[in-house]
Parts: sequence; structure tokens; C-alpha cells
Amino acid sequence: MIRRFAFVTLLLLTTSCRRQQPLSRNLNVENKVAMRTVSLYYESPDLLLAPERRNLPLPQNPAAALDLVMRELLKGSANAAVPRLLPADTTIRGAYLLPEGTAFVDLGGPTLTQGWTTGSHQELMAIYSGVQTVTANFVEAKRVRVLVNGEPAETLAGHVSLSRALTPVPSMVVR
Amino acid sequence: MKRFFPLLILAAASILLAQAPNQATLRTPTGDRLVTITRVNGQTLFAADEVMAALGGAVSPDATGFKANLNNTIAAFGPDSRFGVVRDELIEMPIAPAIVEGRPYVPLQFFQGFLGKAADLEVSWDPVSRFLTVRPTQHTIIGVQLSVANVQGVSKVVITLSGPTDYTITKEQSAYTIRFKTQIRAPFAAQSYDDPYVAKATFSASDLRLDLKAPDAGADAYKLENPFRIVLDFHKVAPGPSTLPTIVIPTRPVETPGIHTIVIDPGHGGKEVGAIGPGGMMEKDATLTLCRKLADNLETRLRTRVILTRTDDSVVTLDQRTAIANQYKADLFLSVHMNAAVVKGAHGSETYFLSLEASDELARKAAEVENAAGRPLPPAGSSDLKLILWDLAQQEYLAESSRFAQAVQEEMNRATGVQNRGVKQAPFKVLVGATMPAALVEVAFITNPEEEAKLKTDDFQKMIIDALTTAIQRYKIDYETRIGVLRPAAPAAASK
Repeated sequence: MIRRFAFVTLLLLTTSCRRQQPLSRNLNVENKVAMRTVSLYYESPDLLLAPERRNLPLPQNPAAALDLVMRELLKGSANAAVPRLLPADTTIRGAYLLPEGTAFVDLGGPTLTQGWTTGSHQELMAIYSGVQTVTANFVEAKRVRVLVNGEPAETLAGHVSLSRALTPVPSMVVR
Repeated sequence: MKRFFPLLILAAASILLAQAPNQATLRTPTGDRLVTITRVNGQTLFAADEVMAALGGAVSPDATGFKANLNNTIAAFGPDSRFGVVRDELIEMPIAPAIVEGRPYVPLQFFQGFLGKAADLEVSWDPVSRFLTVRPTQHTIIGVQLSVANVQGVSKVVITLSGPTDYTITKEQSAYTIRFKTQIRAPFAAQSYDDPYVAKATFSASDLRLDLKAPDAGADAYKLENPFRIVLDFHKVAPGPSTLPTIVIPTRPVETPGIHTIVIDPGHGGKEVGAIGPGGMMEKDATLTLCRKLADNLETRLRTRVILTRTDDSVVTLDQRTAIANQYKADLFLSVHMNAAVVKGAHGSETYFLSLEASDELARKAAEVENAAGRPLPPAGSSDLKLILWDLAQQEYLAESSRFAQAVQEEMNRATGVQNRGVKQAPFKVLVGATMPAALVEVAFITNPEEEAKLKTDDFQKMIIDALTTAIQRYKIDYETRIGVLRPAAPAAASK
């Protein structure tokens, strides 16, 4: 009995003292921050998405940088005349990238949670400004799946289906 | 010892039925047994084969998914759709079934939808004790309320129920009988109405009989949820060629090819108000006003059957809108919306059909299923195809939807002279499941003060209605000419 107790105790000690494996062997490299020019897409006066260049300090790891770029997009255009596309109280709860090329952008905020009232055009612009920004800045991201409050959502405002990942639509972007 | 024996048996049984984390106890009238469960997106899914086997049924794979069979009633379901099909009715599930190690797992709602029809069983789930209980249906009494109102020439009978129930509708010489599958609590025994179509409503046992004043009235029936309602619309039958049979629900009025039934979908409704104009006009109100008038105009000018997905300020889910069109086997679906933009000065109309991006992936999935099965896709209309699915439905009609959208946009541009923002494609949820050519028109920007003001005027509304009617007429003639129903010379006869 004493021997068994000693064995279990030793096992627990061994387990608790084991060092946690790093998430990546190249974590230092991936987390190295460098200035990078990104293109953030906002609506232009001709009702298309137009890029706005901005220099941001970003980690080289795209999975880590994605979240920061989406938060930067949500801050809005540097040009005060360019209106916001998503409701002002929208938050980015998280953004992550799966190895097979699907980026997930998890949106939150009171308006999106309670039901956003807008028309098709604004809803399309709001969603595809995110899709275009993600895919234009991260070659690893082929498509974007939009979640609301961490869960799949039918639509943001009753029009555009969010049941699948969305790919960029070139005809929505200024040439 | 003897008197403890039953307790020992019970104790042994409880040990045998001790639930592992991925197990639940299936309780049926014949006893308890363990079944495997899994969790997907916060939902508990049950191993369909284990549950069905315990009830004396079976689950087997087919080309597009799986089939559950109990008492020779078959339900089809698959991992790509949260809709199953039983006896040509949809079983709506919160999420699609999942395949885990080749075995299908389904949400509780699948069993609730299927077992009631296959064996008059009801199913409940206790997530705390993890008991899935299947028992003979306790026939509860359903409260019934009835209202009859005539709106713009259509007599609308709304039967509001305190809970969902199955029902059948049968047509007699000059009456319709709604037979409920559960006991009902009638609001009255009989009542007469001062209505153009409905003379009297009579409750008897589980039947509601509606006597009509006009025996040749056309009727459409559909159901709505939250609360559960059965709606019957009585209207005059559009005079058509003498060879056409009288409209009898729920069958298609005419089986000859062509555009005979058109579903018009007024966007939004109820608490889903849609976009709001600077003057306070709500998209849900603007679309309903326009669509009611459009329906009248279409019936008069095109002599077609027109169904509205909503005729009042009620919530109709996006899935229900296409489900209504599919249930009526509509030949054309047009969803009507008002646009919104943050850019000042945005104006004009836009017409959309489903984007290829949304459907390409589905087409690929269907092809994978086909290749895996080594045999072609089942013919259109079979329950198998319904499974491949609800989400894939519109793929087959994209070319026709494009033509239809083009006709709509051209007529809108011609009539209003507004900026041509052209035909576009987008993954609009309301178009995804339509099994017919389908388009969505954004009539005008309600966020533009000028266009909002115009939308309130009868003249502008009439102009839009005429444009949409002409577009639908153009597409109808074009389509019927291409399939050989009309001779190429016929379009001249269809001018206004």
C-alpha cells in the first residue's frame, strides 16, 4: 500500500514538473514584430471597396497578425469622410487562421447581437471589406468565415448568408 | 437473500447502464439501453443507427446521405443540410447531422420530426440526466383561435394554435376541412362571416370546416411559426385557358411546363424591420406595400397564381420563405428589398442572383457524393435530391436565375431611368434553397432621402410594380418560348 502511494505521488510530481512544450519551435521568429504595410478596405464614393494603405507593427506569424489587422480595420478609415461599414459598437472577439486556408473572424457587440437593421448593400460591403482585407494581406487565407459571438450566424442583417466561408469578389473592389 | 435478489438485479442493471461521457440512456417502453452521443457546436447529437435499431428500425447509407426506416416510413438526411425529409415534409434541425467514424449522428429534432410520423412516438431529452425518452405520443389538447379578414381581395383565414400539430386539408364541393392530428379546444362551435369567400366556420371533434360562398374560389395554404399558424388564402381564380384545372391545394395547379406559380417575397417583417430611411420609413413596410400591389398586378396581367411569403407584418424566417416557394412548387421566386448604404447619394436599383462562389463548393460536394457512390445523382424531385441538398437547390437554376435577374434589372432601369447598378451575384441566404429560378431586387435606396420620399408615392410605386410585372412577363414569355410551350411569334400577344 505504501509502495503504491509512493508511486502515485512520484507520478504526480513528475507530471507537474514536466515543462510545457512550446507551441512552436520558431516562436521567437514568428513573434518577431516588424513594420508592414497593409491594405484595409473601405467603401469608396462609387460604392466599391477601395484599399487604404497603413503601416502597422505586426508579428511575422500570420495567425497572430490577422487579429491585429482586423482590429485596425474596425478602427475605420483615416479619412473622416469615409463612413464606417459595421455598426460603431462592433468588436472583434477574435480572428484566427486554420492551416488549410480558412480564416475565422469572430464579431461581437450589442448591435450585431441584438439584430442589425440595414440593407443588402451595406451588409455586403461590411462583410466583404473584412473578406477582402484578410485575403489581400494574408496569402495563406483563401476564404473567410464570419462568426458572431463565437457561433455560426445565419446573416448579419438578414441578407448575406454566413453559413459558409466567403471568398473575395473582385467585382466589388475598385480596379 | 431472496428478498434482496431484485435489488441486486437492479443494482447490476444500473452498473451495466452506467453512462460513459459519450453515452446517454435511451428509455423506451420496452426498456433502457445506452446509446452513443457526441457534441457538435454546442448541440448534442445521437447515434441514429443505435436509436433506430432500439426502436426496431434501421439506418442505411444511400448515395446522398442516409435513410432511416421505421414501420416502412423513410426519412432521408445528410451531413450537408440541417433539413431532413419525411413523407415530403421537411424536418428542421438546429444543425446538420454529423458523420463520426462513418456513422451518422443526428440532433434530437430529427427524432422528434420522424418518430411522430413513423410510429406516433414523442421524444424528449434531459441533458442533466442524459436520458433520451421515447414514448407513445401523449395527445395534448391544442387551443385554437380563428380569424377571418379580407385584405385587398384575398380572404385570409388564420388558424392560430397553442402548439404545433400535424393536420390535413381536404377540399369538398364548396368547403375545406382542416383535420388536426391532435385533440383541439375549439373557440366556438360555429360562426358565420360577412366575408366575400368564407361563409361559415364549424368545429366538430378535431375538424374545422370552412364553408365557402364561392365554390370556385382558389385557395392557398401555408403554415407559420411563433406562434404556430395555419393560413388559408381564398381568392378568385385567375381566368386561364379553359383546359386548365381548378386550383386545388396543395398540388400544383398545372403540370404543363411554364411559369404558372410565382412566389413574391416581401423582405423582412415583424421585429426584423430591415433598413430604415432618414424619414423613418421601414424596409419591411415598403416591401409589403409594394409586393401586395405587385401580386394583384401579376394575377391580373399574367393570369398566374401568385403567392406572397407574408401578407402582414409577421416574422418569416429566411428558410421559411424559400420553403414556401418550394412547397408550392413555384416556377419563379422574387425577393423584394429596399437598399441601404452609408455612402451619401447612393441611388438606383440592383438585382441579384445567387453567387457562384456560394454554390461552387456545394456542386463540388455533390459531385464527390456522386463519385463516391459510383452512380449518377437521382432525378430532380426525388427525396434524395432534396437532401443534396436544400443548400444546393439553387445551383441547378443559376443560368435561368441570371436571365430572370437580367430582365428585372433592365425593366427597372427602363422604368425609373435611375443609375444602372447592374445585375450582381451574392450569397443571399433567401435565394440559396429555392428550387426554381430566383432573384432578389433592391428597388431603391431607402437611406437616400429622395428615394425614400419617392417610395411613399403612388406614382413611383405603380412605376416599380409595372416594371417588375413587365420583367416577369418578359421572362415568362422568353422561358416558355425556349422550352417550346409558346411559339416564337407569341410575344406580340403579351404586350400590355
